[in-house]
Amino acid sequence: MLLFEEIYKSYWQKIFRLCMGYVNDHSLAQDLTQETFIIVWQQLPKFRDEANIGTWIFRIASNNCLRQIEKQSRFPKVDLPLNLAEEKHPNIEPQIKFLYKCIAELPEIERIIISLELEDIKQAEIAKIVGLSEANIRVKIHRIKEKLTQKFTNHER
Amino acid sequence: MSDNINFKDLWNKQISIAPNPDNLIFEIKKLKKSNLKKLVLTNLLLIATSVSIILIWMYFQPQLLSTKIGILLIILAMVIFLFAYNESYSLFKNNMNSQSNSDYLKDLLAIKAKQKFMGKTILNLYFILLSSGIGLYMYEYTSRMKPLWAIITYGITSIWILYNWFYLRPKQIKKQKVKLDEIISKFEMLNMQLK
Repeated sequence: MLLFEEIYKSYWQKIFRLCMGYVNDHSLAQDLTQETFIIVWQQLPKFRDEANIGTWIFRIASNNCLRQIEKQSRFPKVDLPLNLAEEKHPNIEPQIKFLYKCIAELPEIERIIISLELEDIKQAEIAKIVGLSEANIRVKIHRIKEKLTQKFTNHER
Repeated sequence: MSDNINFKDLWNKQISIAPNPDNLIFEIKKLKKSNLKKLVLTNLLLIATSVSIILIWMYFQPQLLSTKIGILLIILAMVIFLFAYNESYSLFKNNMNSQSNSDYLKDLLAIKAKQKFMGKTILNLYFILLSSGIGLYMYEYTSRMKPLWAIITYGITSIWILYNWFYLRPKQIKKQKVKLDEIISKFEMLNMQLK
């Protein structure tokens, strides 16, 4: 039996970054991450395929991001005390900000693909999460990276 | 193409403090309770109305068949509404959100199409049943009135029913449709990206 706390600890950052790549908004990304873990918590008792826990969680998270356009106020915003600590978060490097900005400007599915790639997920697994062929994913990743590099070089000039 | 930008390195520097999981679990339980409350409240209101109609039946002992049919139609209208309202919760299968993105989007589109159809059909059915139910139900009591009063009573009720049918119903249907169409077109746009 997988422990929710363990999953939570090992996946929170990863899921947060995925959501952040999708929306590029710190507090919205936190909300989306929270919603993901709410679903994980609800469905964990029925989950059996422990070897593929990562694929499972990333699927839930990316689907939740995709559905974000539908629900503006369906979930009441949860005020967590630690949101205050987050405010004091040190200013991150402009380059990091720029990367997330560039990713959030991509089409939605590309955002998910590149976020998973940057998270070091194997391309075969990305293919399973998104539901495209591995070859297709490989091509897409290559193109997205080119786009990003282009944006970065233009930005530096 | 320059490879000297290490995207992965930059990517991983984005960090956020994870809130205490205990807080999250606490919030989940609160959320669950409030959702349940809403569901119970909506159903309670409809059940209470139906119960009071049945009580009227028992205490006033309607004589005519039309009154009884009227009461049944009103209750049926409410049961259908209740059923549709509860059903919209269960359209989303529990394990749906752990499918791949492409399967998930396909399912979402199917659900939205179903909701669009259901919304319109159920609302029409609800109004037809409710209006004809009220019309039949009133007959027995108005037939005992003086003709003028009977006409006034039916007149006012008809105006109210017509107002519902020609103003409120289309407005409600349109509101639902606009909202669903907007969501459907967004999901279709996402689906196109998976080609």
